[in-house]
Amino acid sequence: MPVFQLVLQSLPVLAAGALLTIKFAILAMVFGLAAAVVVALMGISQVTALRRIARFYVSLMRGTPLLVQIFVIYYGLPSLGISLDPTPAGVLALSANAAAYLSESMRGAILGIARGQWLAAYSLGLSRLDTLRFVIGPQALRLAVPSLANSLISLVKDTSLVSVITVTELLRSAQEVIATTFQPLPLYLAAAAIYWILCTILEALQHWFERHLALPGPH
Amino acid sequence: MPCYCSIRYQAKYMKISLLQKRLAVAVIGLSVASVAAHATDLLDTVKARGTLQVALEGTYPPFDSKNAQGELVGYDVDVAKAVAAKLGVKPVFITTEWSGIIAGLQAGKYDVIVNQVGITPQRKASLDFSPPYTYSVAQLIQRKNDDRNFKSLEDLKGHKLGVSLGSNYNDMAKAVPGIQVETYPGAAEELSDVASGRIDAALNDRLTLAYLLKTAPLPLRAGASVGDSTEMGIPFRQNNPKFAQALAAAIQSLKQDGTLTKISLKWFGVDVSKPAAQ
Repeated sequence: MPVFQLVLQSLPVLAAGALLTIKFAILAMVFGLAAAVVVALMGISQVTALRRIARFYVSLMRGTPLLVQIFVIYYGLPSLGISLDPTPAGVLALSANAAAYLSESMRGAILGIARGQWLAAYSLGLSRLDTLRFVIGPQALRLAVPSLANSLISLVKDTSLVSVITVTELLRSAQEVIATTFQPLPLYLAAAAIYWILCTILEALQHWFERHLALPGPH
Repeated sequence: MPCYCSIRYQAKYMKISLLQKRLAVAVIGLSVASVAAHATDLLDTVKARGTLQVALEGTYPPFDSKNAQGELVGYDVDVAKAVAAKLGVKPVFITTEWSGIIAGLQAGKYDVIVNQVGITPQRKASLDFSPPYTYSVAQLIQRKNDDRNFKSLEDLKGHKLGVSLGSNYNDMAKAVPGIQVETYPGAAEELSDVASGRIDAALNDRLTLAYLLKTAPLPLRAGASVGDSTEMGIPFRQNNPKFAQALAAAIQSLKQDGTLTKISLKWFGVDVSKPAAQ
């Protein structure tokens, strides 16, 4: 079968897979970012126990393969009586993993704000929480956006791992077509092109955010 | 075909308290359902549900793959439909990767696997099987223009042999010292490497190879059959005596009324539901 025709014919299958990929990516981004804020705040907390818990969580999540985490949540938890469907199990694993990386970007950005900003805010009578919310947070966000985008773009591609828990996402859809057509290259390239398009959209968002948060005037 | 590495992974990486904490941290609307207790027999569960949940790869032609319309077709799909009909329930198909398929069965994600699972003593230690419904044999596959004729696995000492990860062919190849065993995710990948000359031969199911040789646009030819006849069955979780009995009766009756033979002739042109003479 000519390559162009093959790719054209498999587009509906790939599109169905891409929809699943988008669903997992968006859900994991939302929950991952929310969890990352919590972990980052714990990471800069003045309470030693909270800092230790955050550091331990980040170490565990970054230090073990995502594939194993997905496996344990979906296949391991039922032996404890917790049986999750593929979607919650996949979203849970992806968000928990992404949260570790995202939280470090956030923590780094917060630490990157000059000490003087904290002191100035305190001298105006702001509490620690208000300082974070109104002075440090907005400035840190500007620093964090490029590396947050890094992790989120990685996350889009990491969703391909949920194929191991019965989800026929984009890459697995391509493999299903390959299994009967024996034309791996065009189909993998087609799948890669779709991932790229999805990530390009994220990049556009990133640049919009960067412009939005940029310091006024040339510098 | 599965290795048990996946199951070992679970035990090794299971840190219960951490998982619970992580579960608590993630604020997700989880549909938490406890696993059906082992007290009820799988047969009662299946009958009450009215469906038989069947796991298969969906990327394993001619046993199970998706056609242009996206429907699952193949020998195992037809067998599963016939078995479900005998049990008086509807089949529900769940496609997943081979690497996680046994773990999913043990975790109770579905009732059975109908995906050419070879009946081996190792697997029988942790799973129960239906009586065999397919008989086959391992076969070598070589490049079309390769003059060498490997007659047995012994002949491949010092050569590179490709097998699928976690398959019983993997175990067969590794049992012969001196063979350089290369593992691949699936048949499509190992065959393309035979064709390109990266490996000397591949070892797979005779039934798979007959189909692949016919459909894959690769310069390959069938080599010698090696080893004993392999028997494929339908695995399910242990301690389900009523289900075991009902499934065995269903297979028996499908053999007797000629349904299995009919399905086999449709997909292979030969009857593979009986022990082969060759």
